[in-house]
Amino acid sequence: MDGEEATVSKRQLGIALMLLGLLGFIAILAIDILDVGRQGGIGPAQRIALAVMAATALLGITLIPLGDAPA
Amino acid sequence: MKGAYSRAHAVLMTAASAALLFSFLVYALYAANLMSFPYDYDQGEGFEVHDSVLFSRGQLPYRDTEIYPFYASNYPPLFHVMAAPFVWFFGPAYWYGRLLGFLGSLVSAAAIAYAVYRDGGRNRWIALLSGLAFLSSNFVYHIGPLFRQHTMMATFETLAVVMLAGAFPRHDKRAIAGGLFLLLCAGYTKQLAAISAIAAIAWMFIRQPRRAVRWSLGFALVGAGLFLWLNVASGGQWWRQAIIANVNVFIAEQAFGLFILWFKLHGFLLIPAALMFVYELYVDRLSLYGVWFAAASLFGGIASGAWGAGDSYFVTSVAALCILSGILFARLLAGVRVMPRRLLFISPARLSAIAMLAVPLLYLGYARATLKMPTDGAFSHIASALNIEGNVRENFYDSASFTVGGYARIGYPLTAEDWTAGAEIVRLITESDGAALSEEAGFTMAAGRDVITNPTQLRNLDRVGLFKGKELLGMIERRDFGIVILRALFYPPTVLQALDSHYELSHTVHMNGFDYNILYPKTQDSR
Repeated sequence: MDGEEATVSKRQLGIALMLLGLLGFIAILAIDILDVGRQGGIGPAQRIALAVMAATALLGITLIPLGDAPA
Repeated sequence: MKGAYSRAHAVLMTAASAALLFSFLVYALYAANLMSFPYDYDQGEGFEVHDSVLFSRGQLPYRDTEIYPFYASNYPPLFHVMAAPFVWFFGPAYWYGRLLGFLGSLVSAAAIAYAVYRDGGRNRWIALLSGLAFLSSNFVYHIGPLFRQHTMMATFETLAVVMLAGAFPRHDKRAIAGGLFLLLCAGYTKQLAAISAIAAIAWMFIRQPRRAVRWSLGFALVGAGLFLWLNVASGGQWWRQAIIANVNVFIAEQAFGLFILWFKLHGFLLIPAALMFVYELYVDRLSLYGVWFAAASLFGGIASGAWGAGDSYFVTSVAALCILSGILFARLLAGVRVMPRRLLFISPARLSAIAMLAVPLLYLGYARATLKMPTDGAFSHIASALNIEGNVRENFYDSASFTVGGYARIGYPLTAEDWTAGAEIVRLITESDGAALSEEAGFTMAAGRDVITNPTQLRNLDRVGLFKGKELLGMIERRDFGIVILRALFYPPTVLQALDSHYELSHTVHMNGFDYNILYPKTQDSR
C-alpha cells in the first residue's frame, strides 16, 4: 500500500536533517547577535539546543550516502 | 541442544515474569494505599481536584489571579473534564482522579503489549513482559496513581501511536482519524504531548508526504479551533495562564541528572530499543515507534529539566522503549533476519538461540534495576532474601534513591500518622476565623473553605511579570487570613515577604514526609 505514493528516501531525510541542524544551529547563535540587550551570553538551555542541532546535522550527513532506500 | 535452550528459556522467562509481576503487585498495593487518602500526597494534586470542581460547575479554571480567590490553573482541561462527573456524585475528592490515573497506566501497558504482539510477530509472552516492564518503571510508579493529568496524557499518546502505526500504512481513514483525535486528547490533557504529535506527523510525512500534509492540516485546524475557543471562552486567560505562564526556568543539572537516572533504571531495555532505532534508521524503515522513542527521549528528557518538571517527563519515552525493545526481542526469538546480508556475521538461528537466554535475562536485569518496595511487614522476608533494606525511608527501598533533583521523593506507603496529621491541619483550619491560605488545596476543601490561590501559578505569573497581587497582598497585610499553611514556599517573593511580616509560625505538622508550617496573624506584641 505504501508504494502508491512516493516516500521520503534516506538521502532526502539526511539532507533535511542536515539543513535543519545547520539552520537551527545558526538561529540559536543568532539569538545573542540579534537580541543585543540580552545579558549573560550563551546559557545552559542554549548550549543544549546547540548540541542537539549539531547532532541532528551530523546524523543527517550519515544518512545521505544511503541513497534512495525508503526512510 | 535446542531442547536445553528451550527449557532454560522457559525457566528464565518464568522468572522474569514473576519478577515483573511482583513489581506490579507493589504498584497495585501502593495505588490502593494512596487512593482514599483525602489530602495531597504529591504537592499540587489538590489544585487538580479543584480544577475538576470548577469544570463540574461549568466554569473554566483559567482566571484572573488579581481578584479573589486569586486562583488559576496552567493545565489543559481534558483530564479534569473526565473527573468532573465524579464531582457531581461524590463531591471534591482525590480517589477518582487517582483511580483514573492508575487505570490509565494499565491501559497504556495493555496498548504496549498489543503493539508488541501485533508488530513483533505475535509473541504473547514478550508482549506481556513489555506491558509489565512499563508498569515496573520507577517513573511510571511515581505518577501513575496520583490525581495528575500526566499519566492520562501518556495513555492517550500511547493509544494514538499504536493506532497510527497500524492505520497509516494501511490507509485506514477511520483509524487514522481516531489516532489523530487521541493525539489531540493527549495535547488537551497536557501540553507536553506536543512532542508526540510532532513525532507522529513527522513519521507520517516520511512515509507518505502528501497524505501526511492533508491529515496534518485537518489535525492543526481542529487543534487550533479548540485553542481559540478556550481562549475566547476564558477572556484571554487560557493564553495567559496555560501558555505564557507555563514556560519555566531550565535547570541543566536537573536534566542531566534525570537523563543519567533514566539510563541507569531502564538501560536493560533502553539499549536494545536504541539499537532497534539505529537499525531502523540505517537498515530498515523507520517505524512510528522509533521516531516516537527518539523524540520523546530527547525532547521529553530536556523538558524534564524545567523548574517544576521531573522524572515523569520520561514516562512517554519509557512507553516507547518498552514497545521498541519488545518488538526487537520478539523478532530475535522468532529467528527473523534483522541484519542485512552484508552485515550478517551470525546466522538468524544462532542469534535466536542466544536471544532465548539473553532476552529473559535482560527483563530480569530490568526488574532488578527498577526495584522499589516496602521492606517491612509482609515484605520483610522478600527484602531479606534480596539483601535490601530501606534506603529512602526506614521501611522503603527505591533503586533510584532520592538523590537526583527532579526525581519525585514519593512512592512509599502512607501511614495512620499521615491521616491523623492531615485531619489535624483540617481541624486547625475549621477552628480558625477568616479565610485560610493553604499551599495545598486538600485541607481547605476538606474544611469546607474556599480554595485561595494556586502558589505555583502565582509564581509562574510573577516570573513573567504578570502578577501584581495588590488585592492578595492587601488581604495579607490586613491579616484577613485566620490561618496560613506553608510547605514548599512556592508563592512569589512579594507574597512570602508579606507573610513573613504579618504572620508568625505557630508550629509544624509533619505529614507524609514533609513539614507543614502553621502560621497565624502576628499580634500587636509580636510585631
